[in-house]
Amino acid sequence: MRTWRIVLLALGGLRRTPLRVVLTTLGVTIASGALVCMVGFALGVQEQAEAPFRTLGLINVIRVSPRGDAKTSTAAPLDDAALARMGAIQGVEVAYPDLRARGIQLSFGEKSSTVVAMGIPRQAPLIETAGDIMVAGDDFSPERKPEVILATRVVRDLGFASPKAAVGATVRMQAAGLSPDDARTFTFSRQNLAVQVVGVYEFRAMMPGPISRVVLLPVDVMSRVPGIRFAPAIDRLMAGGTATSAGYSRAMVRVRHHADLFRVEKAIQAMGFKTRTLLSRLQGMRTFFLFIDILLAAIGTVALVVAGLGIVNVLLISVLERTQEIGICKAIGASRGDVVVLFLTEAGIIGFVGGLCGLLLGRGIAWVLEAAANAFARSHGVTAELEIFALPLWLLVTSVIFACVISVVAGFYPAVRASRVDPIEALRQ
Amino acid sequence: MSPEPASHTLIETRSLTRDYHVGPATVRALDAVDLAVERGEFLAVLGVSGSGKSTLLHLLGGLDTPTGGSVAVDGRDLGSFSPYERTVYRRTVVGFVFQSYYLVPSMTAHENVALALTFQGTFGPERQRRAAEAIRRVGLEHRARHRPSQLSGGEQQRVALARAIVHAPPLLLADEPTGNLDSHTAREVIDLIRQIHSDLGTTVVMVTHDEEMASGLADRIVHLRDGRLLDDGEAAP
Repeated sequence: MRTWRIVLLALGGLRRTPLRVVLTTLGVTIASGALVCMVGFALGVQEQAEAPFRTLGLINVIRVSPRGDAKTSTAAPLDDAALARMGAIQGVEVAYPDLRARGIQLSFGEKSSTVVAMGIPRQAPLIETAGDIMVAGDDFSPERKPEVILATRVVRDLGFASPKAAVGATVRMQAAGLSPDDARTFTFSRQNLAVQVVGVYEFRAMMPGPISRVVLLPVDVMSRVPGIRFAPAIDRLMAGGTATSAGYSRAMVRVRHHADLFRVEKAIQAMGFKTRTLLSRLQGMRTFFLFIDILLAAIGTVALVVAGLGIVNVLLISVLERTQEIGICKAIGASRGDVVVLFLTEAGIIGFVGGLCGLLLGRGIAWVLEAAANAFARSHGVTAELEIFALPLWLLVTSVIFACVISVVAGFYPAVRASRVDPIEALRQ
Repeated sequence: MSPEPASHTLIETRSLTRDYHVGPATVRALDAVDLAVERGEFLAVLGVSGSGKSTLLHLLGGLDTPTGGSVAVDGRDLGSFSPYERTVYRRTVVGFVFQSYYLVPSMTAHENVALALTFQGTFGPERQRRAAEAIRRVGLEHRARHRPSQLSGGEQQRVALARAIVHAPPLLLADEPTGNLDSHTAREVIDLIRQIHSDLGTTVVMVTHDEEMASGLADRIVHLRDGRLLDDGEAAP
């Protein structure tokens, strides 16, 4: 109630010199609008730059490998036990060996294709986070059946009329390689397996050439492909260990939310493994953008400080003009605190209204520039809608709060001056 | 202050002295004034301009601090009050009326009166009711929505009077309340003060240079000359 009364009093004070107050508020509006606009632009560009990583779900992935010194027999092997421990870290969605095999032969009737096979966990396939790359069929079934997800290129190689036609078909998979045993010997074996096509995906224009012939197999199928443990076993043997203790050369750990990424990564490093994340590379980019953000925010802040000086000026004049009124208020019972609060409130109102209008101004400028940029892009044949500005809620709220804070700080000196007015001096005027 | 008065004396000064520094010179506006005001008394302080009347009133009202001596209210020394306690004293015990009214020009009569209540912490319907009541007491309910510039001098002073008594202070300090008014309007204002004094039992200290008016009004008259309080003998013409 008291607050409301003081706001009313402050409004009454401001109402007395409308033009002056409007001009001052306009200063805050422009400064605040510029701030919102510039930071929004930097955020928007950053969003655009990061978008592809986000849609592929790669941002949530940690690549794990044994440490450089892990060639020694005592280093922690990257085996199923280690993966189980990683899977148990809070925030981890799935931890699985990153298995790849070249020279896998797929055949359907007369046609065949030589492909690269990649192991993907059944419970949370990579495709899930990037659903839009699936063109037909579905993810792996939870039963441990031999299944495969083909690339569109392979579908064509195998002579299917369309990706849809391939789904449900059974194709033959042939693989051969050396598998280690305890006796430091390797056995050559062949595998001839009937696998069912459950889905078809497409890496749109991202990976041309032989890489486009990548098929996805469930990890459990993949780990039985002959030769899959050959390379890590050789490494382990050279380091003086046994071939069967080798584990995997690489693994993938996916977290549910990228906010958990660095915590999980640290935990995995503590277990004695080397890690690599796309996010840490993104981090370099983010540092750059942070720098841009700070630079633009600093320019906006300079504008706001200038606007704040305007507030100091206007309130100081107001204090001089209203000396007698302040004296009256004190004579009839206003405390110094009341006077300080009154003037700070006036400054705060200017800041709040200016910040609010600035927010609208910033949004307006962003909207106009975006519309203009899109019109220009369309005239040059670009169909995608560009979003140059990102104006998240926190930016809008912060800009208004910031405008208020700067204004109140600006009002502090005039407010203290006003509170020091000697009622007798004031009334003698 | 306290609901049960400890003595009959509401406010008392002892060797109250106030010096002003004007450039290098020191001017003694008030010189060792001993004055006691009884509760419920109507005291007129007579003196020509420059005799120190206003200074005395400012000191009694806690607007100014003495160079020497003391002001005691209900036995408590005003000099021992913290700045905030003095503010509370001003807003609860004292009502001020000035020669030049000192209304806030941008506010209506009603708002001016209510402003005093704002600083007391009285809000809402209670604030409106008390402000309206004070305005009614000075007979200006039909002018409540007017700004000072739309009111005559007498009306402005009546608004100022309403503002001074809206919080029902035990002490009303009036500084030449009729100084800017013609004799007819002055009469109205004086009658109002007189009525407030008798209706509400408010203790009034009024300074004026108008001896005729003071003598028809006050319970007691003291004379001030060159900052000194005169004996009754000295004051006689």
